[in-house]
Amino acid sequence: MAPIDDEVLKTASQCRHYAMCKIDYLGTGLCPPGKRQHYVSYYPQGRMDLYAALAAGLIPVTDELVRIVETCTLCGVCDLQCHFVTGLRPLRVMKALKERVEDYLKEGGIPVSVAADEPLRRLRAIVGGEWATNDPAVLVTYANDPFPLADMLMPRYVVLPGSREEVAAVVRLAGELGLPFAVRGNGGSVFGFVFSEGIVLDMQRMRNLSIDKDNWSAAVGPGVTSFELQQEASRHGLRANTAEPAATVCGNIVCTGTFSTWSHAYGTAADGFIDMEFVDSSGRIFRLNDKRAPNVFAFDNAVIPAPGVCTEAKVKLHPTTADEDGLLVPFWDFDEAVALARELGRRRIGLAVAVLGVHYIANFMSPSQDLAERLKGVLPESLGIRYVVVAIGDRLARDAIQALAGTVIDSGLWRTLTLGLPRLLDREWQELVRGFEGGRPPYETLCRPEMRPLIEAALDPSPETLAGAVEQDLRGLYAGLYAQPRFTDMTWLNMFRILSSRMSRRKHMFAFLVYVPLDRNDVINHINAEFARIAEAQGLDHDFGFLTPMDLGKRAILEYDYYIAHTAPAEREKIRRAMAEIEPWLDGLAERTKGVTFLKYVFSQGCSRMENFLYR
Amino acid sequence: MILLTGGTGFLGAHIAAHLIGQEEEVCLLARSKQGLPATDRVGRLMDWLGVARNLRKYVHVVEGRIEEPGLGLEPDGSAALARRIREIVHCASNTSFAERKRAEVEAVNVDGLDHILDLAERSGCRRLHLVSTAYVAGLTSDFCPEELVRPSAFTNVYEETKCRAEWLAVERCGKAGIPLTIYRPSIVYGHSETGRSLLFNALYYPVRTALFLKELYERDIHERGGRKAAVMGIRLDGDGWTFMPIRIAVDEESGLNAIPVDFFVRAFGAIRENKRTDGIFHIVNSRLTKIEDIIGFAQEIFRIRGISAGPAQEMEGKPRNALEAAFETYLEAYGPYMRDRRLFGSDRAGSILDKKGIRCPDLTYDVFKKCLDYAVRSGWGARLFES
Repeated sequence: MAPIDDEVLKTASQCRHYAMCKIDYLGTGLCPPGKRQHYVSYYPQGRMDLYAALAAGLIPVTDELVRIVETCTLCGVCDLQCHFVTGLRPLRVMKALKERVEDYLKEGGIPVSVAADEPLRRLRAIVGGEWATNDPAVLVTYANDPFPLADMLMPRYVVLPGSREEVAAVVRLAGELGLPFAVRGNGGSVFGFVFSEGIVLDMQRMRNLSIDKDNWSAAVGPGVTSFELQQEASRHGLRANTAEPAATVCGNIVCTGTFSTWSHAYGTAADGFIDMEFVDSSGRIFRLNDKRAPNVFAFDNAVIPAPGVCTEAKVKLHPTTADEDGLLVPFWDFDEAVALARELGRRRIGLAVAVLGVHYIANFMSPSQDLAERLKGVLPESLGIRYVVVAIGDRLARDAIQALAGTVIDSGLWRTLTLGLPRLLDREWQELVRGFEGGRPPYETLCRPEMRPLIEAALDPSPETLAGAVEQDLRGLYAGLYAQPRFTDMTWLNMFRILSSRMSRRKHMFAFLVYVPLDRNDVINHINAEFARIAEAQGLDHDFGFLTPMDLGKRAILEYDYYIAHTAPAEREKIRRAMAEIEPWLDGLAERTKGVTFLKYVFSQGCSRMENFLYR
Repeated sequence: MILLTGGTGFLGAHIAAHLIGQEEEVCLLARSKQGLPATDRVGRLMDWLGVARNLRKYVHVVEGRIEEPGLGLEPDGSAALARRIREIVHCASNTSFAERKRAEVEAVNVDGLDHILDLAERSGCRRLHLVSTAYVAGLTSDFCPEELVRPSAFTNVYEETKCRAEWLAVERCGKAGIPLTIYRPSIVYGHSETGRSLLFNALYYPVRTALFLKELYERDIHERGGRKAAVMGIRLDGDGWTFMPIRIAVDEESGLNAIPVDFFVRAFGAIRENKRTDGIFHIVNSRLTKIEDIIGFAQEIFRIRGISAGPAQEMEGKPRNALEAAFETYLEAYGPYMRDRRLFGSDRAGSILDKKGIRCPDLTYDVFKKCLDYAVRSGWGARLFES
């Protein structure tokens, strides 16, 4: 067999399971075998895991692995999809995997056939022969994720049900056989919560999605991703409050409730849906809008199981207006940024609002890690920007924000800065901008409307200029993407959240989310400082993530991020020690401070009323 | 031994070279930066300054950070240093005008001095030389004497912290019985004969901006058809000169008080050598350089025309183009120094310098050209240490 290539293995091991290869977010098409076969093993994400599993000797070459390899045509769609958000080039892994298995066969190797046992035969009787398996090449792609504190756990079976009745039957069978099960919406996982030594249910086949425009809602199956829902809603001139693009809508609601920058206007948790359908642990089907249904709208500040397997959500959709656009308000001082976010909450201004730190801004804007790292330094040092308040709103909202804030980066300037980013980082331009500084921060000069022609001339913003920051062979493709207005359209980028995976480009992101009282800067600053202190003590990379006002600026959701090399055992130990400190501290803080709730306790209670966890 | 802080900065480096040239044992308190150890940074500077090899034995380097109590030194190292110090030249300074950097500026300019004074008190220091600035005068519009001042307001955090530092030094040196000399230079530019400089801000900055714009729009004209240049009214004239329409507001009778670094060093040396020189000394130019002259020099050197200076009243109410907006922003920060009318008293310094025949060279076209030639050659500092 072809030897394991260390560089290729390194790429394979870096897959963060963000499943961006499972949605056509670039408009370049989807991996054809993945789209057809649905198992994650057939997507680039699964193939990355398979290469790593072969290298580690975790699996033999099996019948299914041969089929997986045969179906890959090395079309290369995955390369751009993955690179755009993670910087990885998976095509080389696809090639290496193919070569390795093909060599094995050429050398006379016989693929291992795993016989079906009785439970598998019964599962197949429910979902069809194609949609349940015990082949290790499939199982292993459902056994692991980048969450550093969860060990690998191989399931015995992976099942892809096609309807709620099949889900109910599988759940009943699992109960009868005493098999534990875990549910995965999109076959992916990043939090280490959805492993099972019994059955993993992958809901990928349940992809019903229909818009009920008269009722401002969408009926969404559990295999539908946020991206797909938003895309469909957009076609009807509507918008949903969605999670990260590859996250399934149902899974996200059940797990944490959907929160985003749009939670400023659209709320979270039970605010996001009209009704939901579940299969409970006994296989009974129920809907929430049924007087006899369990009360999942209540909240218990404890780790409790989900109400069941969600088989459909009827999600709220919201109106849009033609004059929506985005802007950024730059800040040096965190408290001032928070004050503006609070004010926008109180005054109900805008639709999406968040305070972002430089790590977020730098990564969102930069198509390469190198550029992001440099921008992360340049934003505070040369431009005087340590935070921004990003806001999406109609013209009236933007006018109001401009009046409140004074200095703003409007969508035109944002586009210029993004498309001219490599030039913005030129030393000479940097020093020029720095030299403008006196009592007022340099960004004020940059944002003056009369400066726009000079900035345009200096940065030479164009898709080609920005594409110059990536590897030579990808430049044409990047230029093509950035020539599409949506890739610099703040509204589109915020709605579809396609850039959020860039946060983990350098290292795996470990996000801590806490609901906080927005009128308590002391509490918010304490939380940030404590997260920073613990990370520093453990030698972990860390940064403020975002803060979004909620419920008229009374509360907010705050994210603080740790960054870890998830494949390094030493980093795993660091995060374990950090967690041991964080959990009791946050529990104590939440006990003493009204408005503080650790998102950990909202897990599996995402259907509850937000008031029940915001105002405990 | 003389302890020198800020020895890797513009003025400090030149003072270091001056003292070493006089065969004084000099210990530079320096930090590692951008992966370069303090000793390497100092060595690189000594090369740049042309300090002869046989004099390098007088150079000592201690790695430390003045923002930290105890200068970030281990107790043993600190005690050993204290035992050897006979004189301190405190040159370290954060020259940022940025209000957002107040904490950093205070940490160096005020706390840093405090930490140096701690060391001075524990050592056998016989004199402290504090390099301050003429602009501790703050927003004073009239005569600025060579004495401690307490202005009601300052242009920026730099001025304010330097003023606070003077008061701190006077108070603590007075209590400890350490003689104190305070040097107050105005704006310092490169060497009047060679044009060499380590720093390219203040006087250099607007010229650099003009050159940047000229090259930017020339590229637009040559490579992209010149649409952006045309929008700004920028064109290439047939004689190879570039026309850039920029109006800059100036005040009559005002100008820039600038001194070359070689004059500063000679003045520093003369004042230091004068053994009874407690107190404050202005190291300034008795003649102001007008902005109009600098504009004229710069246009001539870089073959630019179209930049005009006129009274601020003439520009009032008229829209600014992007180029003017850029310069106006600069002048908001540097205006008090560029449009200066203040008279800095220099009787005390003058009485010493006159006796030694030391006088400040004028900022003539030739001097300015040498300085700008060097600035361009060195990539405005980017290629300073290339062989």
